[in-house]
Amino acid sequence: MAFYKALDLEAAGKYRDAAPLFRTAVHTTAAVNALLGLERVCAELGWPDSLVTLLDTLITQNPHEDTYRTVQLRTYQTLGRDADVRRAFDVWVHDAPTSATPYREYARLLLQRNQTAAADSVLARAKQSLGTTSDLSLELAQTRAAQGQWVPSAQAWRVALRSANYLEQAAAYALAPAPSSVRDSIRQTFLAPPIDVGGRRALADLESTWGSPADGWNALEDLPPDSAAADAWSEFAKQAEAEERWSIAREALESALRWRKTPDLSVRAATAALNAGDPVAAIRLAPPMQGDSATVAHDYLPLHIRALAALARPADAERLMTAYDRFLNPAEHNSLTRTIAWGWVRTGDMTRARAALAATGADGDSSDAAGWLALYDGNLKTARALLRGGTESTPELAVALGLIARLKADTARAIGHAFLALARGDSAGAASQFVAAGERTPQVRSLLFLIAARIQSATGHQPQAVALWTRIVQADSATPEAPQAELDWARALRASGNAAEAGKHLEHMILTYPESALLPQARRELELVHGAIPPNP
Amino acid sequence: MHMLSRFVRHFTFATFAVLAAALPIRAQRLLVPMDDAQSNHLKAYGLTYYAIKSGASAEWLLNYRGGSFLLADTPELRRRAGLDGITIESVDDGKLADIRAEIASSNMESVPLEKAPKIAVYTPPDALPWDDAVTLALNYAGIPYTALYDDEVEHGDLSKYDWLHLHHEDFTGQLNKFYLSYRDAPWFIDLLQKNTAAAKRLGFANIPALKKDVAEKIREFVERGGFLFAMCGATETLELAIAGHDVDIAQSFIDGTPMDPDADKKMDWSRTFAFQNAHLEQSPFVSSMSDIDGHQVNVPGRQQPLGTFTLFNFAAKFDPVASMLVQDHRSVINDFYGVTTSFNKSVLKPGVTVLATEEGAPWVKYIHGDYGKGTWTYYGGHDPEDPRHAIGNPPTDLSLFKNSPGYRLILNNVLFPAAKKKPLKT
Repeated sequence: MAFYKALDLEAAGKYRDAAPLFRTAVHTTAAVNALLGLERVCAELGWPDSLVTLLDTLITQNPHEDTYRTVQLRTYQTLGRDADVRRAFDVWVHDAPTSATPYREYARLLLQRNQTAAADSVLARAKQSLGTTSDLSLELAQTRAAQGQWVPSAQAWRVALRSANYLEQAAAYALAPAPSSVRDSIRQTFLAPPIDVGGRRALADLESTWGSPADGWNALEDLPPDSAAADAWSEFAKQAEAEERWSIAREALESALRWRKTPDLSVRAATAALNAGDPVAAIRLAPPMQGDSATVAHDYLPLHIRALAALARPADAERLMTAYDRFLNPAEHNSLTRTIAWGWVRTGDMTRARAALAATGADGDSSDAAGWLALYDGNLKTARALLRGGTESTPELAVALGLIARLKADTARAIGHAFLALARGDSAGAASQFVAAGERTPQVRSLLFLIAARIQSATGHQPQAVALWTRIVQADSATPEAPQAELDWARALRASGNAAEAGKHLEHMILTYPESALLPQARRELELVHGAIPPNP
Repeated sequence: MHMLSRFVRHFTFATFAVLAAALPIRAQRLLVPMDDAQSNHLKAYGLTYYAIKSGASAEWLLNYRGGSFLLADTPELRRRAGLDGITIESVDDGKLADIRAEIASSNMESVPLEKAPKIAVYTPPDALPWDDAVTLALNYAGIPYTALYDDEVEHGDLSKYDWLHLHHEDFTGQLNKFYLSYRDAPWFIDLLQKNTAAAKRLGFANIPALKKDVAEKIREFVERGGFLFAMCGATETLELAIAGHDVDIAQSFIDGTPMDPDADKKMDWSRTFAFQNAHLEQSPFVSSMSDIDGHQVNVPGRQQPLGTFTLFNFAAKFDPVASMLVQDHRSVINDFYGVTTSFNKSVLKPGVTVLATEEGAPWVKYIHGDYGKGTWTYYGGHDPEDPRHAIGNPPTDLSLFKNSPGYRLILNNVLFPAAKKKPLKT
């Protein structure tokens, strides 16, 4: 058949050979598709004018076929025959007086050419002739956006998305340039009742584009639970997971779980909860340890073990692991054993922690965890060797390595205990132990005080933090910690609204330590204090 | 006796050494280099402004190392330079003599800076400083200014200031024709209401009438000896408002009557600063005011692409004013859009000094001239470090652009009124 042969030739790039076959097929039952094929190859060959006469014939033969009319508008437009485009549109409107299609196709062409005002006129004419633009909401939305009429555009997008929710990304793209001054009005448009899933998804996309994924969740959280909402929540969570926004991801996945409880969603929700620092919720959300044992061991067990270790319940974790151990390969076994060792650390039982690590053999003995255990024991020599060559890269490790590097001694039990208290989540105990260790270790006193001050400041104990910063700045003013302490102090003062005092500390720090690597940060803080630069968003 | 004398000699030497260490060895001058050795060009202007204001001696060394400043060596200036991260160099008598010799034998000049100008910025009372490149620069450099608006201008407050800045105000009173795109936007409705209320409060029939009168008072300010610096749309619309003082040049959406169809012919260009024979945009639906702007950024069919502009190199000894305005460590600068981005050469009045132009283009970027006893300078575009600024965009953080050559041109204008007038050598 000529049509299929023409398609093959087109696919092979033989447009010149395909064109006559498409032209022949136009007179068969595949007429519409053949015409579209002919339009494509004529565009490739630069022959759009060869369609004009054919289209006149086809339209005469079948005046109700919208595709012929649409191709005719496109052809005249390609040829730059604007007057003929308008004439063809007028004839089409005359022949189909109750149809929205002529207005839609013509408005689209005009929008593609950035003729916004002309598209607006076409839509106004449609409203006058048809009494409504409900079938033209997409074109109306695009026109209003192009005119910078953001709220009317959002209103039209909302209508368009009710019947075509696949347009949500197009809506977000079109509304993304809206200035911040109208964004609240756009939000209100999409959030107004009744709830439409398509509109809400578009708003969630839009919020992400505007740089606020957290607000995106506001657009979705109150969707009535059904399969479309569950899809929206799961999709939104995927983006949040990719951006490591674990709290939002967890909320979205928990919502999805209420409608559709699948093991995959449960694992994702529990993982998000765990990464967000909520192991209790992780255990609640994780799939139950039921079903095929191998699947449970590979897919669910690591999650439960991590959560139990984080909850300082290593004994429960060990029991669970024993039950499924035969399904684990050696690498999986060792990895989970190290996790359990962390659990023992959190309980303070270093003997059990070490025993757990020892059970993993050489792999465990040379791990990051072993390095930390050595540090907790105050065994700086071993900690130095293991942590330096480790795979971990966290701020805590950087602090620990910095400290170890400045100590000549091979053992420092007090410092080890302070780090251990921190690992157990005992912030107050850790702070006081770092101070006590500092009093006994003058060569790193300022660094230990600085760590303690940061812990105190982070836990809201500002007077204690200030006392430590003061000691560092006054008694250890020649150490690298002195400018850091003064900068931390100034930041805390600025955060509490005391800009004047913050400014004094920053000025003192900048002038006292002109060689400090922290100067750019301090100058920026000072500029914020003085209102010399816009406040951080 | 011998021992005593050795002791005394030793003691005296030791005492001198301690004192010398305790007292900072102060150079006679501080050089603030403005070439690539400078770590914060923009704050250097603030330091110089502070020096002048506090009565310390200051000189602008035109074309010497990027237009450096030579300041008195005081503890406070050193302290400020340290706080702001401004590069300074000590200059003793020998070095100073070398600098002066180099200046004397090259296209360079030393201009004393004597009086810190009193600065006013024409801006709405509720405007934040972050949407105007000049207030951004003044804030960042730490140069104080007073914000004033229609009420203050109408009450005659301009006479209290030496230097006035205008930015994106539309002096034709049409609110930049934002009505076309933003008529339903809450911020535009608020803007319209506030301006309408101000017009009524100050006894004018509508916004265009008020803005034309404000434009007239600004014209008089310059005529009496004021320094005017304008950017963005204020440049073009100020001129249109002055030339169209007795003509209806506003569209009906703002004053209820259409533009006078013969407005073009009735414009009086004899009273304007920079432009002549420009043609008004007659259509209320086209977001443009006239053919003064070369780039027409808000008119899709007419918009011209951004290029770069080049600063002219003037003879510092003969054209110190123009030289001051173009002091920079770069001579070619990336262009940036504004409501008015550039100025078509075809509408420039004879005698206008072109400070920067785009090679091969029919427009110029940066112009200057005298008017009455005062001077004016126009710099097209909105924000030198935000080439396509749009309403609602985040503000520019100048701590990220502290060496901006485009912003330097703004600050040149702030310091230039401080220069002591020297008789021209021609």
